[in-house]
Amino acid sequence: MARRIFLASVSTAFLAATLAGTGGWSTAFGTEVDKPIPEKVPFELLKTMHMAIQIKINGKGPYRVIFDTGAPVMLLNTKVARESGVLGKNAKPSLFSIWGNMGQVKIKDLEIAGLKVEDVPVIVLDHPTVELLNKFLGPIEGIIGFPFFARYRMTLDYQARELTFVANGFEPPDAMQNLTKMVMALADENPKPITLAPAAQWGMMLAKEKDDVKPGISIKEVLPESAAAQAGVKPGDRMLTLDGRWTDTLADAFLASEKVKPGTAARVVIQRAGKEIEITVKPRSGL
Amino acid sequence: MKKLWVFFGLVFLCPSGPSVAEDGNQVKEPTFQVPYRLTQTQHILVRAKINGKGPFNFIIDTGAPALFVATAVAQKLGVEPDPDMWGVFDRFEIEGGVVLPKTRGRIETPFQLEGMNGLGLAGAELHGIIGYNLLAKFRLEFDFTKDKMNWTQLKYEPPPPQGLGGKGTASGGLDALGSIMKFMGALIGKRAEPALNYRGFLGVELADVDGGVEIKAVLANSPADKAGFKAGDRISHCQDKAVASQAVLLQLVSAVRAGQTARFKITRDASAQEIRVKLGEGL
Repeated sequence: MARRIFLASVSTAFLAATLAGTGGWSTAFGTEVDKPIPEKVPFELLKTMHMAIQIKINGKGPYRVIFDTGAPVMLLNTKVARESGVLGKNAKPSLFSIWGNMGQVKIKDLEIAGLKVEDVPVIVLDHPTVELLNKFLGPIEGIIGFPFFARYRMTLDYQARELTFVANGFEPPDAMQNLTKMVMALADENPKPITLAPAAQWGMMLAKEKDDVKPGISIKEVLPESAAAQAGVKPGDRMLTLDGRWTDTLADAFLASEKVKPGTAARVVIQRAGKEIEITVKPRSGL
Repeated sequence: MKKLWVFFGLVFLCPSGPSVAEDGNQVKEPTFQVPYRLTQTQHILVRAKINGKGPFNFIIDTGAPALFVATAVAQKLGVEPDPDMWGVFDRFEIEGGVVLPKTRGRIETPFQLEGMNGLGLAGAELHGIIGYNLLAKFRLEFDFTKDKMNWTQLKYEPPPPQGLGGKGTASGGLDALGSIMKFMGALIGKRAEPALNYRGFLGVELADVDGGVEIKAVLANSPADKAGFKAGDRISHCQDKAVASQAVLLQLVSAVRAGQTARFKITRDASAQEIRVKLGEGL
């Protein structure tokens, strides 16, 4: 019997490597995005079911890299980083080590099909998982992840083997900086409580008993003339979803209500007398 | 080393090969709006119920070849892995209305999850990863300026993932990292989950009027009604702070939880008065 290897999630792995990393990464993000029209990028599906695409860096390439929605940072191997000028001749690459320091540099010009972006943060690292892929299915020179694709409304279609990008103005937060903050926060023994506040007024009171494990939450009171009452919500109804979100706990219901702005129509799915019905509620400005 | 990513592939090399539906365009494919959140680690997190239990938290990761469900979760559900560590989940339901019957997934806890959970990095406990074998059944639209993803169900049966055919561990020894992170988590002490508070309910409809906030209506039987608020009242202060707009007022009230007392100063018929009111619990 042949042994087979499955590579999973190259992505989350190297977060570990950054834990001991200190300082130095810069926060500024270039937000230059060229084309507001959809740009199609074909991808190749590797044997391991990873997506591979072609990129150009500072006019050099094309280079074949993995495209990974689970990668919060971008990676480039040392060889290509030097060749494309991402890493200066004398600069040292990061060492792969959980205790090692790991820095982030920037790709000045990154091109993927007709898309051009500037100053994309990348970690230069010969990551073991990428090296392994490179060895078996290479060349694979790095990983394209969140810092790139978050700038776009992106459609992923495995059947058509195609990615489509439209610039959406989103500025990706810096994963490395977030991580540094998080590691600091780990030492904080008393995290600040989070207050959940509805964005609008619905006019209904909810109840979920501790031993109630059924889906949804009970509506124990609907105030007369309120948005909920006018839409037809009744006391005794069981609310299953609010605005497409499950409401199995009070926290769930409050979290869902934080997303619905006053005056917008939101779907609420109610269970009443054994039947599921959908009600549209327009919550109001108020509290 | 041994365990996680290695298994015997024979069962899996489907003899029929990939089958692609060529003419899926005739019938309209259903599109689901799937709520997601971006974790502090910049992972895309969605919620799923398996066999009616949950919800559980999953990361959307094209870097994973399949659905992975943490061992502890599968145990809780009573789903037994086969000798190759695959399991079948009778009903896999993703928040937003996606329902998949008889879904195959790996029953194991990838080291990444173990590590991230050990340190509480994502800000939520992670129960698994949704990877290629499930994702490929949909056309997926990601847009971080919106709070939901679009998942359009395709008439497409994705070819099953295949292994590399090599020996050894695919993660290049990285699985050790998961344990290290978990260990570090134990040393540092896992961050306690922050407590959740619910802002209290008052029962007033509001409108911004020149330089202030006016009560448009008071809901009958609400805490506001019982405390004596009237339509037309101007709210000038809340918790002893000046209120210039609804946004300011909402911010001030957000510190008052259900069951606590909020203090307001209002102007009615050109005279000022103070109202104290115990807020209710509701939306």
